Amino acid sequence: MAGIILPTSFIMPGRLKKPTPLKNPERPYIALGLEGSANKLGAGVIKHSEDGTATVLSNVRHTYITPPGEGFQPRDTALHHREWALKVINDSLAKANCEVSRCSCRLIGPGMGAPLQSVALVARTLSLLYNKPLVGVNHCVGHIEMGREITGASNPVVLYVSGGNTQVIAYSRQCYRIFGETLDIAVGNCLDRFARVINLSNDPSPGYNIELEAKRGKRLVSLPYATKGMDISLSGILTSVEAYTIDKRFRSDGQPRDENDTDIITPADLCFSLQETVFAMLVEITERAMAHIGSKEVLIVGGVGCNERLQEMMGIMAQERNGQVFATDERFCIDNGIMIAQAGLLAFRMGQTTPLAKTSCTQRFRTDQVHVAWRA
Amino acid sequence: MIRQKVYKTSLASLHPSLVASGNTENKDDSPILIKYRFSKGYRHKTLDTTLTKARVAGEARALIRCLRAGVNVPGVRMVDAAEGVLGIEWIDGKSVRRLLPGGAEEEDEGVDETLDDIEDVDHLQEFDISVGEYYQMMGLIGTEIAKMHLVDIIHGDLTTSNMMMRRTASGKPDLVLIDFGLSYQSSLVEDKAVDLYVLERAFASTHPDSEPMFQSVLDAYQTQTGKEWNAIKKRLDDGECTSSVQR
Repeated sequence: MAGIILPTSFIMPGRLKKPTPLKNPERPYIALGLEGSANKLGAGVIKHSEDGTATVLSNVRHTYITPPGEGFQPRDTALHHREWALKVINDSLAKANCEVSRCSCRLIGPGMGAPLQSVALVARTLSLLYNKPLVGVNHCVGHIEMGREITGASNPVVLYVSGGNTQVIAYSRQCYRIFGETLDIAVGNCLDRFARVINLSNDPSPGYNIELEAKRGKRLVSLPYATKGMDISLSGILTSVEAYTIDKRFRSDGQPRDENDTDIITPADLCFSLQETVFAMLVEITERAMAHIGSKEVLIVGGVGCNERLQEMMGIMAQERNGQVFATDERFCIDNGIMIAQAGLLAFRMGQTTPLAKTSCTQRFRTDQVHVAWRA
Repeated sequence: MIRQKVYKTSLASLHPSLVASGNTENKDDSPILIKYRFSKGYRHKTLDTTLTKARVAGEARALIRCLRAGVNVPGVRMVDAAEGVLGIEWIDGKSVRRLLPGGAEEEDEGVDETLDDIEDVDHLQEFDISVGEYYQMMGLIGTEIAKMHLVDIIHGDLTTSNMMMRRTASGKPDLVLIDFGLSYQSSLVEDKAVDLYVLERAFASTHPDSEPMFQSVLDAYQTQTGKEWNAIKKRLDDGECTSSVQR
């Protein structure tokens, strides 16, 4: 279905300051968060003190890296998570210098089924072994809450960009509402798949290698620009940029054949053009959402959020609107356990826990299905 | 659209030479509205120029197509696509949003930056509207949208703020559709249904009391579209339209 423009009447009272329903804890809480929705396995320990501050005690991650030209398969990723789970959790607990956490939180979606299930199993086991409460956490909400905690942004428009998700989100009445999103593939998926086409390494991540490559690009090739209101479409752009790799002017080694060979397209040019086009679309829909809501803050979360060019573009846009952009580095942008701990602990402090029978995971769990009880 | 500014001026003041030289034939004092699309610093220069050009031209094209088909839209007065400037007829009227109960209060609270530069927003002539005329107005809305859809123009942002009521010289009410910044051409039933659906949502949220009146919009729309209506109606009633919007 085509993109929908939300009429201005959906404007929410974003500037109203209501007292937060979240009380300072009467004793310190410590939570262990486990994350495994895609190819990263993460475990993190967070502490909420009586004065309401949060401290990151540890944040350990292990990434399943595939050879260049290959993506990660659910089954192999689940295997990776099972192999590494104990090591990562022990590491995380050791760094946090605590034996068993007081409250264990765990991710329930959205994400790839098999990797999720293996991590869910670990979480259930821990919960039963040590008789600790378990809280299911929505992955996207985890990202948002961690971003807010780290950057101190109070009520930002959130651009959530990762390998599996591309959403523009804003908070309204105890719910993170999705204002715009991709109509087909996620932006990280688009970049990663192109990295595979031009055989870039998956280490540390294909997106990072695209970013490095793009810095050397000079020529902007023409690609479709597909914004529909606050939604975007990316699959056509991926097809178009792939098509340039079989263009007569394409030089896969990036070198001209001789000194007369000037009209050439290099892989770096394609990475550059892809980034410029796709990020411009993302910034534009974010700007649109900001205008609708009247917000001056924007927060970028998710793996693609590490990209410095995206952060730079968002910064220029925010500056033009007299706003401010908040972004985090790879420790918190890329999937991690600590964000699950943070969102889970917030939910736990509001009295939300997940009974064991309900600790299943789901691959389809939209951001706006979560009751954000801890915000006013 | 965002990050564009709107100014009120007239062709005569833009080209004082026309007036000074006494060239009364070309003299035009009637006000026009200038829509200026800023270049965006974050976007690559080449990409930005191409986009702005295409968007200004697209908006002008949609307006002209509507004008040819007799849809009530502002006339196009000047286009400078390369500079991102579009000059259109100034519509002296009131936004439907303000005329309907519930619409007026919230309007200023929003982010309608575009209105910042327009003077006299509140001093437009008052409309005395009776209950009967409300239904008449709904009918006009339906008719104009139908005429627009019949030439395959999709507005893309149908809300009550994007419609203006004015009186013609004879005192007859006249409804004008404005802001074609997100419009595009499509003959798909799906797109037309979505256009109507967006308006329905806007009605429900902005004017909860006048929601039943939306039926009058659809009735008039049906009369105007004729045989195409059945397919659109079916699509509109279809759950998928709803679910994918509500997500």
